Amino acid sequence: MNAFSYARPRALAEALRMLRNGAVALAGGTDLVGLMKDGLARPTSLVDLTGIEGLRGWSHAKGRGLRIGALTPLVELETSDALAKTMPILRESLRDAATVQLRTMGTVGGNLLQRNRCWYFRDEGTVCWLKGGNRCFAIDGENRYHAIIGASECVIVSPSDLVPALLAYDAEVGVTSSRGTRKMKLGDLFVTPKGRDRREHALRPGELITEVRVPEAALARRGTYLKAMDRKAWSFALVSVAAAARVERGVARDVRLIVGGIAPVPWRVVAAEKGLEGSALDEAACADAADRLLAGATPLRDNGYKVTLARELIRRALRSLVA
Amino acid sequence: MPRVVKSREEFEGEIFESLVLVEGKDLPVARAGTEFTEIGKSRRRVDGAQRVTGRARYTQDVYLPGMLHVRVLRSPYPRARVRRIDTKKAEALPGVRDVLHRFNAPKAAFRGEDTIFREEVRFVGDEVAAVAADDEQTAVEALRLIEVDYELLPHVVDLEEAIGDVAPRLDTDGNVAEAATHKRGDAKRGLKEADFVIDATYRTSTQLHNSLETHGAVAAWDGEQLTVYESTQHVFGVRTGLRAALKLPFSKIRVLCDYMGGGFGSKGGVGKYSIIASLFTMRLGRPVRCVLTREEENIAAGNRSATLQQMRLGGKDGRITALEHTSWANVGQGKWVANPTGPTNTLYDIANLSSKSYKVVTNAGSLAAFRAPGYVEGTFALESAIDELALKMGVDPLVLRRKHAASPKDPMVGKRYSDKHLIECYRIGAAEIGWQRRRSGGVRGSGPHRRRGIGMATQIWGGGGGPPAYATVHVNPDGTIVLTTGSQDIGTGTRTVLAQICADELGVDLEDVQVRLGDTDNPYGPISAGSLTTASVGPAVRIAARDAREQLLDAAAGVLETPQAELRLEGGVVVTKGARTPLSEILGKVDNNTVIGKGGRHPNDPELSLRTFGAHFADVEVDVRTGEITIEHIVAVHDIGRIINPTTARSQVEGGVIQALGFALSEERFVDRATGRVMNANLENYKVPTVQDVPAKITVKFVDRPDRKANNLGVKGLGEPPIIPTAAAIANAVANATGARVRHAPLTRARVLEALAIAEARS
Repeated sequence: MNAFSYARPRALAEALRMLRNGAVALAGGTDLVGLMKDGLARPTSLVDLTGIEGLRGWSHAKGRGLRIGALTPLVELETSDALAKTMPILRESLRDAATVQLRTMGTVGGNLLQRNRCWYFRDEGTVCWLKGGNRCFAIDGENRYHAIIGASECVIVSPSDLVPALLAYDAEVGVTSSRGTRKMKLGDLFVTPKGRDRREHALRPGELITEVRVPEAALARRGTYLKAMDRKAWSFALVSVAAAARVERGVARDVRLIVGGIAPVPWRVVAAEKGLEGSALDEAACADAADRLLAGATPLRDNGYKVTLARELIRRALRSLVA
Repeated sequence: MPRVVKSREEFEGEIFESLVLVEGKDLPVARAGTEFTEIGKSRRRVDGAQRVTGRARYTQDVYLPGMLHVRVLRSPYPRARVRRIDTKKAEALPGVRDVLHRFNAPKAAFRGEDTIFREEVRFVGDEVAAVAADDEQTAVEALRLIEVDYELLPHVVDLEEAIGDVAPRLDTDGNVAEAATHKRGDAKRGLKEADFVIDATYRTSTQLHNSLETHGAVAAWDGEQLTVYESTQHVFGVRTGLRAALKLPFSKIRVLCDYMGGGFGSKGGVGKYSIIASLFTMRLGRPVRCVLTREEENIAAGNRSATLQQMRLGGKDGRITALEHTSWANVGQGKWVANPTGPTNTLYDIANLSSKSYKVVTNAGSLAAFRAPGYVEGTFALESAIDELALKMGVDPLVLRRKHAASPKDPMVGKRYSDKHLIECYRIGAAEIGWQRRRSGGVRGSGPHRRRGIGMATQIWGGGGGPPAYATVHVNPDGTIVLTTGSQDIGTGTRTVLAQICADELGVDLEDVQVRLGDTDNPYGPISAGSLTTASVGPAVRIAARDAREQLLDAAAGVLETPQAELRLEGGVVVTKGARTPLSEILGKVDNNTVIGKGGRHPNDPELSLRTFGAHFADVEVDVRTGEITIEHIVAVHDIGRIINPTTARSQVEGGVIQALGFALSEERFVDRATGRVMNANLENYKVPTVQDVPAKITVKFVDRPDRKANNLGVKGLGEPPIIPTAAAIANAVANATGARVRHAPLTRARVLEALAIAEARS
């Protein structure tokens, strides 16, 4: 790990000033510290956000939606029974995420901004396309964990368990910098690296995620999160599915279907959701949704099984909404 | 009077003959019905409190005053010539004390080569240079400043590519070398005459040891003596390696290993890190620490070879008529091969048999012995194939095995077994798992798309141990005991078991026995490998304790003025007719004395074959839409002679089963073929089982009958047996549950789903 300066300001404004000057934000450190140890991030200056008041915890103002501070540890969301009643998919997704130690340190904002887990990207000795090299090693290499859809020059997959669950509730993120604040749809935070844009996130330099907001209307949905792993715990998803809907008199409304682990971004196909609108989520409708969501999938040498897995998890997740 | 005798021992599936020095007569095995005070009793680990409170000092905990830290520069290429190394910038970094590489390091013998820094590096991770610095961070930074000019050479890392015609030839004789063959009867004819034939190819992936404590050493040279603390399974082996590398006499080398965080076969002798640490300390005069990181551990400290195995089996009239087994193993740059054909040759009484094992070299990290090397891989193929044959023949796979498993003779060497209770293992295991519930095609599971099934597989292994192994028992004037041997406790419970044997034979309380081991200044102890420690060192400890007891009773006879024959030693008390005198009181009357008992292991009977046997049964549930396997229950039954400590024995079996689960379901090294780099040299993507992967139920059973012909305790080893048959039992259970035969371990989702698709297409 390289030498770096470290500061832990109390005021958000001071943190933003440091970020503007090129400091890198540190929260739980569960991803950043690993990147630094592996020589993949070599920041000269770190700004520790954990001293800042007001960015931790969540609140629900009835009728005005729900707000989660970016510095809230994942375990706090997971263990809150009140939140589990309001946003049950969240707890399901977090229970399968990493380990309890990592969930205790890891924060919501850090989880949204974590880098991908591609083992070529994570190998300091491999200069892959995403790191400025000229080719992706996974496309013709060891690619059992890689993307089957939506990828361009780089076949990374979206690693977060939390993100598909938040997307099922139409979450937005509040972003702040020394120039001001803005809101963006959570889905817009994630970008597919392609062409000259070798980024995974749409945040601009100096910007910080301060909160996640969930509109009240989305809280009426019920849903589930399913995750397939290589072992029973402490694994990133081979495939994960978040599904949510309002089911009224046996008919689905307002369906959300997000698949993790198969594409560089959380994979959502509006046509798949639209096709389920008003359906009874019967087997045929579920199969049709899976077809639409996975249309154009092009598996690599070792990851064809993800198509089978995704199809089945989509079916199960959707069927569970009417079970 | 010591005398030299011929001895014949089995180690890791091979037979070795040697001359050993023994003294006196061996003790007889205890008569049936003998009441023991310690043997056969469950005891907590004598060092348990030290371990769980963090006081136990492992090699990684050794920090000596003024100690320097070493980091090793490793080849980033799978095959290259090191043309030039420029260390100027690294040496200029403040805190850097010394840099070693192939142009300045002294010659040092290591595994048949005369250097530890090769001119031609042969795998990603091969040692290129080493830096000693004031702290680890400085050493890491210095590595970045070393400039190396490499000439890249063609490479191959994949087993099947290395066998093929287009691969570069890495050895002058080619990449493939025949390592072992065995033939009896006529396998070709047996196959021709069979009514049913199985011809199938099995694969096993490379498994990494991932010992909790990585490889490493701390070396300290005081101008006269080299002291090396090393995480090792064999302090004497390290000493031998250091003598060869450094040209020092044994008297000037002391190797220590007090507590040890696992080796599983990979810490069998001196490592390059110990030689590097020793070279630095002898150049610089300061203690030097060289401990591998997790990544280094997983690229350069050994592995279980990946294998490709072809099995042909013939069946007729409810019996196996022929067995042909050909195996290829990717040994990386290793100089030997763990033959997967071992179980094929020895397990079943099959008249027509032919086996061949090939060693395949590649530009990947070398193999190191890994808990039952060869046997884990071979048993997966053999026992899967036998189930496939049974299914084709329409017979119960357990019934088919029984017909070939009852022979009292070793089918390979023709000698009688010292003891064998394999059929009893089958009986116990079948009853525990509920074999009668097993249905062809499996049964419905706990939910939709879930199938449940039962499978089993057999274990054979050595574990008889043998000489040389020595121990001494020192009795202090207060009646407490120090048991000394050069063996090590690598986490298995050796300290506890040896203390029990000593206390039992001597007639003292367990808490009065201190065990000192892991020191080359102690009497010789063998490598803690090959499941041989209890059966090798245990009998020596018993003789040493008996020797000490005889001397103590002589002393007591003098002090009490009573004939020795009328005295007994029980719980540290000398008992005569009507009187009980504590040992401490008796010794207290004799001015400052030390009573020393000595013992050495006697040879095995060369006319006998010493083997351990066992069987594992698995009850599994499979989600046939997602390929997820859940292990509901594992039954492990082993025939290893007398059990000294049921608690530590059960721990060994549970640990073996869990490590086997990794091999069976999730553990697999990935090497990028283009770059030769290991993609998952970490605990994120190299997936050892988590506690949630451990089955809800592991039932452990022992036949627990002393092998009276094995040694004076009637014991055999248990280190390796419990990892051998689990994967095959699981694969057989999955096949029973679903009809899908997965012929590649680990049984990942991808492989299970593929096999399910094949099974569905067929039906």
